[in-house]
Amino acid sequence: MTQPPEESGLSGIEYHVLLATANGALHGYAIRDAVEDESEGAIAPRAGSLYRVIARLVGAGLLRETDAPESEGPHPGRPRRYYGLTPEGRRTLADEARRLEGTAALALERLGARP
Amino acid sequence: MTTLFALLLHVYPRRFRARFGREIADQAADDCARALDGGWCRGCWCIVATSADLIRSGLSERVRPTWHGGGGGDARLDEEVGMMMGSWIRDFRHATRSLARSPGFTAAAVATLALALGANAGIFGVVDAVLLRPLPYADADRLVHIAASAPGADFPDEFGVSREFFHQYGDNATQLESLATYNWFTATARAGDRVERLNQSQPSLSLFATLGAEPVLGRLPEPGEGDRVALISHGLWTTWFGGDPGVLGQSHFFIDGPKEIIAVMGPDFRFPAAAVDAWIPVEFTEAVTTPGRFGMNLVGRMTPEADHASLARELDVLADRLPELYGGNAAYAEIIERHVPVVGSLRAELLGEVRGPLWILMGAVLLVLMIAAANVASLFTVRAEGRGRDLAVRRAIGAGRGDLIRSQLAEALVVAGGAGVGAVGLAWIILPAFKRSAPDALPRVADVGLSAGTIGFVLVASLAAALACGLAPAVRSSRADLDRLRDGTRGSTRRTHWGRDALVVGQTALALVLLVGSGLLLRSFQELRSVDPGYDTSGILSFQFAPELEHLVDGPSWARFHQDFMARLRELPGVEGVGFVENMPLDEGLLGVGLVTEESAAADAEMGTRASATFAGGDYFRAMGIEVLEGRAFTDDDAVIPGNVIVSRTVADLLWPGENAVGKRLRTTVLQDWHTVIGVVEDIRQYDFRDDAEPVVYLPPVGPRPDSWALPSPGYVVRSERGAGLVPDVRELVRDVAPNAPMYRVYTMEELVSRSMTQLSFTMLTLAIAAVLALLLGAIGLYGVLSYVVNERRQEIGVRMALGAEAARVRRMVVGQGAKVLAVGMSLGLGAALLATRALSSMLYGISRFDAWTFVGMSLMLTVVGLLASYVPARRASQVDPVQSMRGG
Repeated sequence: MTQPPEESGLSGIEYHVLLATANGALHGYAIRDAVEDESEGAIAPRAGSLYRVIARLVGAGLLRETDAPESEGPHPGRPRRYYGLTPEGRRTLADEARRLEGTAALALERLGARP
Repeated sequence: MTTLFALLLHVYPRRFRARFGREIADQAADDCARALDGGWCRGCWCIVATSADLIRSGLSERVRPTWHGGGGGDARLDEEVGMMMGSWIRDFRHATRSLARSPGFTAAAVATLALALGANAGIFGVVDAVLLRPLPYADADRLVHIAASAPGADFPDEFGVSREFFHQYGDNATQLESLATYNWFTATARAGDRVERLNQSQPSLSLFATLGAEPVLGRLPEPGEGDRVALISHGLWTTWFGGDPGVLGQSHFFIDGPKEIIAVMGPDFRFPAAAVDAWIPVEFTEAVTTPGRFGMNLVGRMTPEADHASLARELDVLADRLPELYGGNAAYAEIIERHVPVVGSLRAELLGEVRGPLWILMGAVLLVLMIAAANVASLFTVRAEGRGRDLAVRRAIGAGRGDLIRSQLAEALVVAGGAGVGAVGLAWIILPAFKRSAPDALPRVADVGLSAGTIGFVLVASLAAALACGLAPAVRSSRADLDRLRDGTRGSTRRTHWGRDALVVGQTALALVLLVGSGLLLRSFQELRSVDPGYDTSGILSFQFAPELEHLVDGPSWARFHQDFMARLRELPGVEGVGFVENMPLDEGLLGVGLVTEESAAADAEMGTRASATFAGGDYFRAMGIEVLEGRAFTDDDAVIPGNVIVSRTVADLLWPGENAVGKRLRTTVLQDWHTVIGVVEDIRQYDFRDDAEPVVYLPPVGPRPDSWALPSPGYVVRSERGAGLVPDVRELVRDVAPNAPMYRVYTMEELVSRSMTQLSFTMLTLAIAAVLALLLGAIGLYGVLSYVVNERRQEIGVRMALGAEAARVRRMVVGQGAKVLAVGMSLGLGAALLATRALSSMLYGISRFDAWTFVGMSLMLTVVGLLASYVPARRASQVDPVQSMRGG
């Protein structure tokens, strides 16, 4: 039943999770909020689904667990885990962004929306 | 909430859970806490959606894992579980789609099961709260109720002990850690302007330690404080004192004088009953002079090693020494000689009579569930047969039997799951309504609600129902073989008919049991309603108020006050008679006394003849419609001149058999003053129409001395056709006489009568609902089976009709088949009912549990409904068009 990580192409939510962590490592909660903000509310995963995405990205070597960034003050309660991009993740995100940019430009051109 | 999420995390494979579980649970809980801040509704939605997401993504993780990293757990096991769940998920998805394609079937099956499961959830919610949950005290299983019995003596089967038992047991029993006495009764309480008769208790000082109960506010009483302090209920604290903590240290009137409030008990402290609002602990300091004053309730806490039987043996030995230690007359010695201690669980004692009826109702709804499951099973069987070819094809192309069973069972599980959700919703609606209509006497009814236990019960019951109605059809149809493909028919065999007929037989039998049961209760209720209690049950209004006026200090001053007040009441329009009584029939019990006559032998004079006493004045007997058999009723003179007494017929028969009681003299064992009997009145049923009439002595409002007794808040009885319409006028009058004294316990006699019968009427109504449900479901079952048979035999019927069979004959044939099944079911049902009604016998009144009318009547009703259910398909059969049916098949 095991499947290899997909060779190429990110799902929408994977793309947004990588995007959220591109500015520095975040904990799960902050990732969720960033994904919701940056997708303009279109993607708002609940805890169970979000962590499956994180697990998949960690498994594929695109995300990794890191120390808390300096900017984060001490957090009351149990310590949180932070996730940040790996070099591979950074490259994949950039590739995906370029791919999206290309297809977006193509779409607009076909629709005649670009001057 | 966190617990719920932690539980749901188990849906994920262990590896994933070990690595991400904590983070997920934290975030889920955080999310929902944030949503709850935004409103109750939003919060609930968040909990539901988050839970659903956990289940969904957990299952997906099992089927298509994203996490292969470390984290412990057996990877192979996880994989196998994943595969198994994968096939179940496919089956469920398939089942859901296929059920959605036949909405009629799905709706019928889900609705039938939901109705029955909902009834079960509702009754289980009550059983759980009232019967199953332990008492709210530490180590409650060590709490025992201790009483006495004296086989062969002229005493009830079980009776309360007397004080010397309490001392002897409490001081010497090694298997008791602690022992306490308790009682409860209605008595006056007053705080500021509020005066009412409340249920109060005078336990021994040791009660709270014995139960292990702590107050939420204040402290427990200490030795030396007996009869000086009061502990109040949480309810009284909030209603009377507005939840003000400053109530501690205040002094208010309870029972017989001012007591300092030292504690507020918690909301779940309801001892010995929910109605009790104040506890005035007492100490027994004076020595026991007269042993044998029975009637005291004991509660003890056993040592951890002790059990009921060994404790009873020890108490038996201790009780044998009582005459030696405390003296007493020969009668007392004889009672002790025969005495056998009774030790039972405190819970059983406090629950009293409600256990039987509640278990009966639980049994009844379980029967309904069985009937419903039989109906749905029959629907599934028909469905499986309709798909015979389909299954045979699947089998032929390699599906295992297990796969076929699983795929069909999945449908039953989806149906039962839907029904379970519906049932919880139904219970959510039923339970509050149930709580409102439940009898006041039902203990712990306040705890009734949709508890986790109830939801768990629904879960188990749904699963059981799914297996019951899905497994047999699934297994049978999985035998589908290739022959099915060859002959091309929809082929049903004789055996499957048998199965379905057996289901209908079972349903009919169960329905008859429920019908007979509810019929017996209905007849008992009718009988009880037609009992003559000895007084009128309509056109009477009763109420109480307790004025606080300075000049009212003793018996005579109160008696004059009542005379003056009644004179004004009498002037109200429509009033035909006015009187008062200390203990209103059907509202309060009576005081027990021992009666002594001038003719009594010296030996009997110490214990007296056991009877009940109350105080009456004004025109009480005429106002209540109690017949005066001999002599006369009280007059205005008796209100101020002491020494006269009226007795009920049973008292006259007991004390002076065959003689005229008027003119005889009697006294109570407590007071030495003699009273002259001036009249004999008809017996009445004081508290319950089922009880035999008690022997009652009616004492006048004034005692031999001014301080012998006083009646500060008797129940006034007004006879008037205006009934409750009189209340505003009376209220006006009370305000005029005593501006600060509120009226309370305002009842019409009709209200008191219906209240006294709530337990029976409530059980009857609930059982009747269950019976009607059973009847309907049974009828639907029969209808379903016959419709199916008719459908299947269309061709054959067509041929018969083409050959000249008349429509009437065809109808007879189908109805006859239904009647056969009915007859078998009813004869089984009658046998079962003869056995099952034993459970009801303690609730029946005035009829035998073998009451022929009920058995015949209910059988007839079932027959009529059953034949009607057969007639509809029969009619359809007789309208079969021969040509059409032979062509179409």
